[in-house]
Amino acid sequence: MNQTRRTFLATGAAATAALGMPAILRAQPSEYVIGASLPLTGPFATAGQLVAPVFTMARQLINDEGGIAGTPIRFVTEDSGYIPQNALANYQRALATEGDALVAYFGDSTGFMKLVAPELTGDQARLMGSTSFASELANPATNPYQYLAGPTYQDQFDILLQNIKDQGGSSVAFIFSNTEFGRDPIEHGKMRAEELGIEVVLEETTKAQGADIPTHVTKLAQSGAEYAILQGYVTGVWPQLIGGARQFGLPTQFMGTFWGMEKLIADRVTEEAGPFLDGYQGVMPYRYFYDREDAPRYQTFAAMASEMFAGTPLENYMSTWALQTMCALDIAIKALRDTAEAGQELTADNLSAALSGISDWDTGGFFGGPVTMENNKIGTGRVYQYSAESRLFTPTSDWFTV
Amino acid sequence: MGEFIQFTLNGLMAGAIYALIAVGIVSVFKATKVVNFAHGYIIMFGAYFYFTFSVIVPGAEWAPSWLQSWEPAWMVAMRADLPMFSPMGAVLDWLSNLPRILFGLAGAVICNALLGLAIERALMRPLIGQSTFAMIMITVGLISVLSGTKGLIWTADAEFVPHIAPNTPIRFTVFDTPVFLFGADLVNVAIALILFGAIVVMVRYTRGGVAIRATAEDQSTAYSMGISVPRVFSRAWVLAATTGAIAGAILATRNGVSPSLGLFGFSVLAIVLMGGLDSYVGVFIAALAVGFLEAMAQWQFGGEFAEVVPYIAVLIVILIRPHGLFGQKEVERI
Repeated sequence: MNQTRRTFLATGAAATAALGMPAILRAQPSEYVIGASLPLTGPFATAGQLVAPVFTMARQLINDEGGIAGTPIRFVTEDSGYIPQNALANYQRALATEGDALVAYFGDSTGFMKLVAPELTGDQARLMGSTSFASELANPATNPYQYLAGPTYQDQFDILLQNIKDQGGSSVAFIFSNTEFGRDPIEHGKMRAEELGIEVVLEETTKAQGADIPTHVTKLAQSGAEYAILQGYVTGVWPQLIGGARQFGLPTQFMGTFWGMEKLIADRVTEEAGPFLDGYQGVMPYRYFYDREDAPRYQTFAAMASEMFAGTPLENYMSTWALQTMCALDIAIKALRDTAEAGQELTADNLSAALSGISDWDTGGFFGGPVTMENNKIGTGRVYQYSAESRLFTPTSDWFTV
Repeated sequence: MGEFIQFTLNGLMAGAIYALIAVGIVSVFKATKVVNFAHGYIIMFGAYFYFTFSVIVPGAEWAPSWLQSWEPAWMVAMRADLPMFSPMGAVLDWLSNLPRILFGLAGAVICNALLGLAIERALMRPLIGQSTFAMIMITVGLISVLSGTKGLIWTADAEFVPHIAPNTPIRFTVFDTPVFLFGADLVNVAIALILFGAIVVMVRYTRGGVAIRATAEDQSTAYSMGISVPRVFSRAWVLAATTGAIAGAILATRNGVSPSLGLFGFSVLAIVLMGGLDSYVGVFIAALAVGFLEAMAQWQFGGEFAEVVPYIAVLIVILIRPHGLFGQKEVERI
């Protein structure tokens, strides 16, 4: 075959295309993108609006630290209204507009994480953290790309029940909202209570908002429970239940899980309705923001917040919800950096492998010590107690790892 | 048996509040033949107005300190010796909150009355003479408008508001079972019953009430007899909105202020259908029956059933008596 100028150019172009194609497909972007859906409107708008500024801080902090092996990151955050379908649409839009530059995503709910899970295959898969501590998500076999930035709700029940046992308690009531969030740990909690020899004397379902407080309080009173664990609430119902019980003079010790442990809410309730949350206990995976002495990462956040959010309530205090988001982002960045430094592409499969390899990791103070990612979660937490006088949650137990 | 009495009392107390909510739906229907699907959201606005005037405004920097918390020297002295959550403490807390409670109730009633008036003047009156169905659809649209407007003005957080009455705990023993009641709940029931009774008496015996009944019977004839039908419409909406404000404030004190209060309207709509859309007595009985059934379902089967069981009863009643327990059967003459 004669090699003419035309065939030479055509062959050369084809060869260049063949050799260069993978590089073009997986070309390193000028910046990596992490997408996020936040409930900036809707029933959990307060939480979403407290979490949103974290992304501004995280971008500056992570990029100042060198981004992902020298490549800076950028966040794309959108409102979901706490509607899983909206969050899914946000995720699909981020995939379409950012393509391979989108390396991770932050979801806003258990509902979204479950909805998106079947879509996370092939090119559509991304590493994904969220606000959820749903037990079902902590399963690398079924949800390899999704992780929890702390213990599952089941783990949190384990920690609380162990704490009740350690305090000599023998009876407990489970009061939970009639949502997936509320029901998540109940069956597991019953089994765990039985193992520990604690009797579950009441299982009470309530509405997530606008619950009939007097009826629930009377049922609790008649159950005679020494302890009551409240699950599946954020800003409402749990304070009203405790208030009603205290006004009745019930001696029940109330306990909550992560979403019922925010100081801002407890302070506001104390301000508006009196000191009845005094003594309320609950499990928290992280240190509170004011507990910074052994937490260099928190000290960094504090220094940045005092500059970036001067004149706003965020200047001096980061909510537990914001800390959870920051922790989830730090976990994603750890997996991204480990993968990039190992010379691997930032595919969801490689990131998932890096996630599973996180072991004895010093988070800079989020948790009590070095942590290990097992089953895509960090099963660590401790019990805190609220004081209406000092307006602080202070630890009443050592760190548990379950 | 003691537990049965406990949950019967809980149910009847909840039922009395349902009746207060239902009275607004019946009043508007009696006067205008419009089933107000948005009544729950008018109640929600009442609750948020109560929250605004009893919590937000008194907490503002410019508000006088006595409005937030009235604490004369004698009250401080009395409180100092009391243990936390004592009955007397609850009474003193209430006294201390009384200025903002009254301010909150006044603000809620006035603002909700203006809201009811605005809805009637802007949305309902232009449709006088048109199909009633069009007016009903307006109330359906109003749900989205009120729900969205609420989101623009207030946050979505569940908030605390002060109890209208001292929330002293009441405990007694029946058949060896302790029975618990909240003092504020008893007062709430009393307020609901008094308002309900006053409205029934007003509709039956006053000139305004007679005008409402006449308009309900036949608008054209009422017009020809010199009754100002638009004014009757206005009165009915203002009556519904003001009773809704009180109902909203009571619900907010029981369950906290939250957007979910709007959904109460749908539950109560079912109660109204069960009792008969134009019968005050019917809805009163239906409201107590639903409250009782809810409490029994809550006691025996738990919260998830409590939201279903009473409404199955409502469906059964409507299947047997399509016009409700005491509703007037419409006679169509051709």
